[in-house]
Order: sequence, then structure tokens, then C-alpha cells
Amino acid sequence: MRVFSFQYTRKSSIIHKIDPRAKLVYLILFTILVVYYSNPIILFLIFLSSIPMVVLGKVIDRWKISIRSALFFIIFIFIFNFIGIFWSTGSLEYSIILSIAMSIRFIALISIFSAFFLTTSPEDLMQSMVQLKIPYEYALTFNMSMRFVPTLTRELQIIMDAQKSRGLELERGNILQKVRKYIPILVPLIINSFRRAEMIADAMESRAFGASKERTSFYTLTMGRKDYIFIIVSFISFFAILSLKLFFGIG
Amino acid sequence: MIEFKGVYFSYVPGEYVIKNINLFINRGEILAILGGNGAGKTTLVKHINGLLKPQLGYVKVLGMNTKEVSVAKLAKQVGLVFQNPDHQLFAETVEKEVMFALINFGFPPEEIKSRTEKILRGLDLIEYKDRSPFTLSGGEKKRLALAAVLCYDPSIIILDEPTTGQDYNQKRNLAKLLKRFNEEGKTIIIVTHDIEFVADFIPRCIIMSNGEIVADGPSDDILTRGELLMANKLLMPQLVEICYELSINPPSIKFDVVLSKVRAIMKGEI
Amino acid sequence: MAIVEIRNLTYRYPGSTKPSLYNINLSVDEGEFFLITGPSGCGKTTLCKCLNGLIPNSYGGDFDGEVIVDGLSTKNHPVYIIAQRVGLVFQDPENELFCTSVEKEIAFGLENLGLPREEIRKRIEETIAMMGISHLRDRAPYELSGGEQQKVAIAALLAMKPKILVLDEPTANLDPFSSKSVLDLLSRLKGEFGMTIILVEHRLEIVAKMADRCAILNNGSIALIGKPEEVLYSDEAEAIGIGIPKVVRLTKALGIKNRPLSSKSLANFIMVRK
Repeated sequence: MRVFSFQYTRKSSIIHKIDPRAKLVYLILFTILVVYYSNPIILFLIFLSSIPMVVLGKVIDRWKISIRSALFFIIFIFIFNFIGIFWSTGSLEYSIILSIAMSIRFIALISIFSAFFLTTSPEDLMQSMVQLKIPYEYALTFNMSMRFVPTLTRELQIIMDAQKSRGLELERGNILQKVRKYIPILVPLIINSFRRAEMIADAMESRAFGASKERTSFYTLTMGRKDYIFIIVSFISFFAILSLKLFFGIG
Repeated sequence: MIEFKGVYFSYVPGEYVIKNINLFINRGEILAILGGNGAGKTTLVKHINGLLKPQLGYVKVLGMNTKEVSVAKLAKQVGLVFQNPDHQLFAETVEKEVMFALINFGFPPEEIKSRTEKILRGLDLIEYKDRSPFTLSGGEKKRLALAAVLCYDPSIIILDEPTTGQDYNQKRNLAKLLKRFNEEGKTIIIVTHDIEFVADFIPRCIIMSNGEIVADGPSDDILTRGELLMANKLLMPQLVEICYELSINPPSIKFDVVLSKVRAIMKGEI
Repeated sequence: MAIVEIRNLTYRYPGSTKPSLYNINLSVDEGEFFLITGPSGCGKTTLCKCLNGLIPNSYGGDFDGEVIVDGLSTKNHPVYIIAQRVGLVFQDPENELFCTSVEKEIAFGLENLGLPREEIRKRIEETIAMMGISHLRDRAPYELSGGEQQKVAIAALLAMKPKILVLDEPTANLDPFSSKSVLDLLSRLKGEFGMTIILVEHRLEIVAKMADRCAILNNGSIALIGKPEEVLYSDEAEAIGIGIPKVVRLTKALGIKNRPLSSKSLANFIMVRK
């Protein structure tokens, strides 16, 4: 069961080496663009612009998994948008174009976020959060939740196997029955998560967590030449795409 | 009755977790699958109740090709008890926990009641019937997970690491229980790396390593082969170790045999 | 000299009706390898948590008596102070490692202590060399095998330079081969570095011969305590139902006076006698 794959994979690539703060600038700028535009062609262009990052970051396989799952969701996004817009406007052409735009927007967002998370280690992200003056506890919580995603996914798989072995058939029944069938899966999952959280807390305390107000940051991130170049390139492409509308009236 | 023929399976294309598995298990047998972590033991047994389907070769269980029947249909014949009971216990009471599978398999209400009561008595859990499963001790939870599978009377029972975290008495009770079910005609398969448990209680064993079966035979043969065990991330049972130290040939896993041989050595007969 | 002193310890978890530990008295000497065993639910895990102050500091409950480690009473000091003297290794390595590289895992505790960066660097190098895990340095802990994970967990604790290492069934989830390599490591830590080791373990056939002393815990109390051969060869041990090693059973059946704990020493004894 692989849905969106945002799980960081360690590789050595130029994109992996770029400071998370620089990549954060990219993430924010391009998210703004995606939300700002509703022209399908320009949205598609923004989507394409995220591909070089994926290629340079050597995370195409994982990215494909995300995009494939996104394509599955698009069917719903398209249908619901179409019905909604057609209902309120009554214009067939307008509804189709806008629904297509919404679908591409979704894909573009998934692509940008995948490119970011697949190439940024949660720990580096945490460190940059700390250096951006976000309290360590919040940064750590975020880091931990990323770290334990694969563990939880594996646990979910075991629980599903265990209950299927006891004759649970998830595929059968109407929606209400199906929802009820997830109870035997969710209860152990939630209880185990609490238990795990408790064990992790014990382990952290045993490693002197909270000992000193002045926690040392052994690993610090420093912005280098390549990071500034990356930020500049991000801004240039941001303004280039933005100018399409501002100066040329496209979109 | 269980037959693996040239079975291969991989989660990631090209990296086979089990390779060329050929295996035959008769009705009423009791056997252990041994091997280090990551040897492919759990992947292998998941093929028996159809949770995984072979990518090459086939698995036949009670005459059914696992590719052609649903997990639910196989699961009724093949009870799989997972290692950690916390991965499956969810109900409000011990009684409801046992009833879960019975309801899923569509047993009539009177039978659900009688079977639940019978198995809870059989596994000494009846006094807890209205308690929450989460308040039980570790050993009791393991028994409950077993009860929740045994209740629907599968003809094959598979236990994944049933002895981890169990103390000696609990292990001995488990062995007794398995023996009892085996005598009732059930086929029992245990996945484990507990060599001493296998040496004491299980007559046949299979050793897996890197996804392949590297040895299959009677425990008193396989478990006495020191080099084979060491090469596959296992250790010798202590009795065998003693035999090696004293150059007793052939070595044995049977206490009485080793005892009489050591006595003979002491009397100067050997 | 005793480095761990437990005096009249009785402990009850909050919300529980009966105590999990009852009137425990125990002292462990510096440099000793102390083994604790006992049936499931006997209170071993609770005792481990008492040793580094998690109980009572983080758990609350009724805590009577005193636990003194390296001169500090655990109830008067926060866990992070005790943690610098007592390293606690847990049963499931997956839940005690949370960083993305082994090196960062080792740095975690040192960063928490607020040590200067030069000191952190020095200690990381020392620990990695001492444990012989330089090949794992940049690997992610969650990709490692169970045995390697436990070694990393131990390394991360040793970097904080504790005098005592407490291990709660560290090999319960490992295969025999990895278990043995973790347990051998403990022997080495005691032998080469004079660490005090307190180990909770079921697999007596592997660990009994390593221990200087041993205690059997039953229903929250210490049922037996003494040298491993005294404890394991006693009739009470058999009655409590712990897994008496085959060597012990065999020796008893042979009626030999000597009390060996390993196959080798039994064999030696027999050959010499012969």
C-alpha cells in the first residue's frame, strides 16, 4: 500500500546537498505560483519546472509513485470540480477548463512537495527550523513524525495481515460496513502508537533529553554559494512565470 | 497437503526474499522453520494462507492452488498466529476477541457461543472472558491470540515466533498445547530462532538462509550439525555443544542419550 | 565498593492495585557483571526503570525506599543527571534510535548535555573506535540489523560516559547469532573498560557463565541471589521455573560435585577426572 511517497531517501545528489532553507524558498515561491494561476497551460508549465529538480535529485522512482497516486485522485478532483462548477455556472466549456486546471494544480503541488521532501532529510529540516528560531521541541516533534512513518506503515501492514488471517475481508460490503471493518485495524494501530511513543519518550529521557537549556547543535547548516545560486534561480523563475500574467496578460 | 514447488517471491523487483522453495508437509506433521532474522521465514509462511502469492512456481494447500482462492477461504483452513499479539487484539472483551474470526467466517450464533467457551476453557482464559484484552499480561495475550485463531478449528496452525518474551514455564506449556493439538490431527508449523525449544519439542526442522531452504530433515539430525547451524546465524543447542566438547559421535539433542554417553565416558567405557 | 544500592524498594505504578516491586534490597559492586532473570511479569523491566530514575521521576506512583547509583539517590535527581551515570538499553532497538545516521545518534545525548562541540567530536570518535562500528557511521540506524542496532544503542549511551550499563532483555528480538555478538560485547566492556553491567536476560545457557552474580526475581521480589552456580544449581531455581541450562541439568543428573556453567568447563572437568 504505497500512497504519496514523501519519505526522504538518502542519496548523494546536488539537490540533496542544497540547504533546506534554500529549498524552502523554492517550495514557498512555487506554491504561491500554483495557487495564483488557474490557466491549465501555465500550471502545466510549473509542473514541468519541478521535473529538473527530481531528475537532478535522483528520486524519479519515488516521485513516480507520488504522481501515479496523484493521478488516481485526479479522477475524483476532476469529477467533483466539474459537477460543482457546472452546477453554479452552467457553462460546459468553462467547467471543463477549470476542472482540468484544478487537476493539474493538484499534480503540480504534489510534484513540488515530493521534490522537496524526497531530497531533504528530516533531520536537516529540523536543524534549519531550529536555525530559523523555531523552538527545538517543535522541530523535533516534526522530525520524529517523519522518522516513524516507515515504521508505522510496516506496522499497519502487519496488522492488516493479522486481521485478514482471521477472516476480515476489507473489500466486501457497502461503505458503512467497510468503515466499520477498519476498526480491528485502527484500534491496534493507535494503541501501539501510544505504546511506542511512550517507549521513545523513555529512551529519549535516558539519553539526557532536556538536560541543558543550551542544547548544543553539533551539526549546523551554513548557506554556501550553491545555496544562494539556487535561491536566485528560484526567484528568477518565479518572476519569469509571474510576469506572464503581470506584463503579458497570459493566464 | 502443503506443497511448494519452485516458489520465488520479491517485494522489490529482482530482489527475491524467497528463492526456489520446494517443500512438502504432510497432514498431522509438526515442524519448525529456523533461520536468522531476514532469512525469509515469515515471507514463506505468508504463502501458506495466501497473504502472499508466489511470483514464480506454485503453492498448493489442501489441494487448492493459493493463487486461485481468496485469503478468507484459505484462512479458514490455515490459522496464522502473529508474533506480537498487540498487532491483532482490538476487541472490548476477551470473549469478543475470540468471536471476531467466528463471525467473519459465518458460523451460526449458537456455535459461536459454544466454540468461544470451549477454546477459552481449553486455554485457561475463561476467567478473563469479560475483561479487556489490553489488561492481560504478556503471556495471557499470547494465549488469547492463539485462542482467537484456534477457535475456528483450522487444520493447519502456523505460529510466528511463539516463544519470544516467554519464560521457560510458558514455553513448556505452549509445547504441551501444541502437542495436544497435533494429536488431534492438526498440522503445526512454527517459525522461530529458538533452537533450544525446537531441540526439546519439535521433531522436524527446516533451516532457511538468504531466502533459501538450506536444510530439511529430522531435528535430531539437523540440529547436531554444528557447522551448518553456525553458517546460518544459528547456535548449537547446548547438549550438542557438550557432545562436541567431549567428542561424542554422533552428537545428540536428547538429554537421556547425552547423559548415558557422558556416563560411559566417565566410567572409561569410551 | 557498591556502585548501586537498592534499599527496601517497594514500587506501585499509578492506578495499579498491587506493587510491581516489593521490598527489594540489592547492591552491585563497581565493575561487576550482574545478571537478573525471572519469569515473565516478575518486575524486571520495572526494576531497570528504577535504576536510571525513570521511575519515579517520569512515572509517578508509590515509590518507597531508595535507589542510590554512584552516590546519587534517584528520587532526588532528574533523569538526565542519573542518565549520565546509568545507561539504559531497551528491549526493542527500533524505539530507542531516532536519528538518520549512526553518528547523529551518538551525538544526540551529547548535544542534550550541552557539551562543547569539540568535546562532542572527540567523544564520537572515541565511542566509534571503542565499539568498532566505524563502518556503520553514516548508515541510518533503521536500515541496520537488530544486532547492529543494539550496538548503536549501546554506543549512544557509552558516549555519555556512564559507569553503569543496564540492559533490559537486549536480545529478545534478535537471532541467536546476533544475540551472542551483543552479549560478547558486554563481556568485553566489563573486561576492558571496567563497566558495571546489569543485564536482564532469559537465555541463561549463554549468559550464566559471563556473570559474576545473579538474582532471580519472582512476583516483584528477589527470590534468590548469589553466584550464578549457587543460584542455578539450587532446587528453588528449578521450582520457580526459569530455563535451567542443559549443562546444569546434565551435571546434576551425573551427580558431579563441581558446578560448571558452560559446556567447555563441564567437558574440561570430565576429561581431567578421567
